[in-house]
Amino acid sequence: MSEKWTGLDPTSGPLERRDERVLRPRPESLDGHVIGLVANGLGRGEELLDRVYHGIAERTGASGAVRVLKPGVSVPPEPADWARLTSEATVAITGFGG
Amino acid sequence: MARAALQADRHEYGSYDELLEDYFERGWTDGLPIVAPTPEKVAAFLDAAGLEASEVIGEVPTREVVVTAEQAAANAVMAGCRAEYMPAVVAALRAHLHEKGNCHSTTGTLSGAAQAVILNGPVRSELGIACGAACFGPGFRANATIGRALRLVIRNVCRAIPGVLDRASFSTPARYQFCFGEDEEDSSWRPMHVERGFAPEDSTVTVASVMNMVSAVDFHSRAPEGICDSILGVILSRFVATDRWLGDGTNLVLIVGPEHRRFFDRAGWSKDDIRSYLWPRFHKDGKKSIGLGRPEGLLIVAAGGDGMGESWLLFPHLAWAITEKIV
Repeated sequence: MSEKWTGLDPTSGPLERRDERVLRPRPESLDGHVIGLVANGLGRGEELLDRVYHGIAERTGASGAVRVLKPGVSVPPEPADWARLTSEATVAITGFGG
Repeated sequence: MARAALQADRHEYGSYDELLEDYFERGWTDGLPIVAPTPEKVAAFLDAAGLEASEVIGEVPTREVVVTAEQAAANAVMAGCRAEYMPAVVAALRAHLHEKGNCHSTTGTLSGAAQAVILNGPVRSELGIACGAACFGPGFRANATIGRALRLVIRNVCRAIPGVLDRASFSTPARYQFCFGEDEEDSSWRPMHVERGFAPEDSTVTVASVMNMVSAVDFHSRAPEGICDSILGVILSRFVATDRWLGDGTNLVLIVGPEHRRFFDRAGWSKDDIRSYLWPRFHKDGKKSIGLGRPEGLLIVAAGGDGMGESWLLFPHLAWAITEKIV
C-alpha cells in the first residue's frame, strides 16, 4: 500500500524574487555628479571617504558631496538620510571595515 | 482547527524518503533530516500556541521578510519539536526579531555569530530543558529542537542561507542549535528573568547573539575575587561589540558553573556583587575598556554541571539580548 505525504513549504518564498526596482546604469563619467558618502562609523571612515571624494573631485569635476553617517555599523541610514541621499546625490560611495 | 487557514504551498510525495530528499534538494534543511511539516502537524502546533496561521511574529525590514506563525510552526515541526514547545519557539522568535536584536546583522555577519536561547521559569521543568550537566551539548530534545527551530526560521524564512544572506567566513556549530536553561533550582541567585523585570513564576526566553564563546577556567581560586579575576582576564582579552545605535544596551552573558558558584555562595555573593566587583575593573585610566554601557548589561546565568571549575562567556555580536515572556 502506498502512503501519501503532504509537506508544506516552510519558506517565505523563492530566493529569486521579481523586483520592479532596477539599478540605474553606471555613469560614464562623474563630471557634474553629486556624490553620496555613506560612512558606517568605524574608525576614521568619514575622513577616508572625504579624502576619496576630494580625489575624485579633482580628477573628474564632481560637483558636490552628500555626507551621511549611519547610526551604527550594522544598520541602514536613518530615513531622513536616505531621503537626502536619494534626492540630492546622483552616485554614492560606501565603506566597509571591521 | 487552524488547518483550514494554512497558506503555504503544498507538495505531494509518495513516501517520507521522497519528501526528505526533495527538502534537502530545495535547500530547506540545515543539512540534517527533518520531520515532515504536514498540514496536520503544523495546524496542531498553531493550536498549541493559540495562534492563527497568518499572525505576524515579526519582521526583517532590510530583507522585506515577514515571519508568520504558520512559517514558525512549519519550521518547528521540521526541527523535531513537540507541539507544546511551540510557545517557547514563538517567544524566541519574537526576541530574535526585536529591533535591537538586530537579526539582519547577527545572521548575515562575516563573523558567523550564533543565537543563544536561554530559558527561565517553570517552562524549563515543563518541557524538560537541560540546565545542568552538558546543557550546551546534545542529548536533550527540548534544547536541541527549540534552538534548531529558531535557526530553521532564520534560514528558511529570514533567508540567512550560506552564500546568500549568511556571509559567514567560517560559521559555527552553534548555528545548528544553541539552547539551554538557567539552573534556578541549584542556585541561590535571582534568576536572570527576575533580574530583567519578570516575575519568578513567568516563563521567558532570552535570545543573545554570540560572536564567540570562551570558557573562564579556574581550578585554583577558593574565593569570589579570584574567580572574578579569572573571568575578568577572559573578558579583557576580547571585546564587546557595540556602536552608537546600540547605545548602552549591549549585553555580555556570563554563565557560572556550579564549581564556581559554590565559592560565591559560601561568601554570600549575589549576581550584583559580581557586577560590583567587575564593573570598575572594566575601566582603565578612567576609560571603559569594553563596550558594555551599564553594570546590568552583564547578564549572569547559573548553569552547567559539577566537576569542572569553569564558567563561560558569550560575547555578543551587534545586538542586545532580548527577553520575551512565553505566553
